[in-house]
Amino acid sequence: MGDHVLCFEDVAEGDEAPVRSHVLSRTDLVAYAGASGDFNPMHHDEVKATAAGQPSVFGHGMFSMGFLGSAITDYVGVGHVRRFQARFAKQTWPDEVLRTKIVVTGKRMDGDEALVDLDVRLHNAEGEEKVVGEATAVVPLRS
Amino acid sequence: MADDVLDKIIGKPTGTTVVTVERGQLGLFAQAVKDESPIYRDPRAAAAAGLPGIPAPPTYPFVMGNFGVFPELQTEEAPVGNPMAEVLGPLMAKGGIILHGEQEFTYHRPVLAGDVLVGEGKVVDAYQKESKGKTMTFVVVETAWSQRGTGEPVCTSRMNIIHRI
Repeated sequence: MGDHVLCFEDVAEGDEAPVRSHVLSRTDLVAYAGASGDFNPMHHDEVKATAAGQPSVFGHGMFSMGFLGSAITDYVGVGHVRRFQARFAKQTWPDEVLRTKIVVTGKRMDGDEALVDLDVRLHNAEGEEKVVGEATAVVPLRS
Repeated sequence: MADDVLDKIIGKPTGTTVVTVERGQLGLFAQAVKDESPIYRDPRAAAAAGLPGIPAPPTYPFVMGNFGVFPELQTEEAPVGNPMAEVLGPLMAKGGIILHGEQEFTYHRPVLAGDVLVGEGKVVDAYQKESKGKTMTFVVVETAWSQRGTGEPVCTSRMNIIHRI
């Protein structure tokens, strides 16, 4: 975490980043609400969420993207992400296991910048995809 | 909703915000997305990673307009109206739900603690389509963050909001 440096020469298409896994709790939702300023009651107020027809409170899409982002920066290094895009495919629910899956889809030079393209996903223990996206990182050359 | 109502909001500004990026907020946000990296807490760890200051986690630009918006730094500008409300207000009056469909960030340089950034939002697309018997209205808002004073581009955030009924 942090002191690991991924170099262009060490990366190959098909490589997978270390998986991050987390069991989502209601406390996570409250913490994210406070740290993000997103107080949509669907994410912290069980009474309002069930009244609106939801089975329970559910996770912020941006919590999912943020957690996925932490797995990306663990792999490519903080400050190296150039682009990060995500589509929110499904809601997340308390007690679900959320797992990251990050796969290298390509590497290329753009001028003197060494770029690595990633397919980035978050899914639950049953394999249901929550977030599907892609990212590009600029990484150092060893030489 | 008629196409011309949607066409009319494309290109419209959603407002300008001047944000001071605060160190404490960055550590709190990192904690909330389950990121333990010392780089978000300790300037010595950030320096060891080659960064000139404590950086923001990748998705922080989505929320940074909610913090560090100090009144004395805001620009005086004529109210620009609210193009999002112009479209989503009448739609929500009919019911349905609003979803965050997609999000994209492009980083020109890391967002750093101590930065004073100007965020300028505008609607870049608005369209409607039918899917599985539902009417989906899409509004895409892009916020360009630049350094106050120099205008150096820092980050672009693109948000796709969907009304579904």
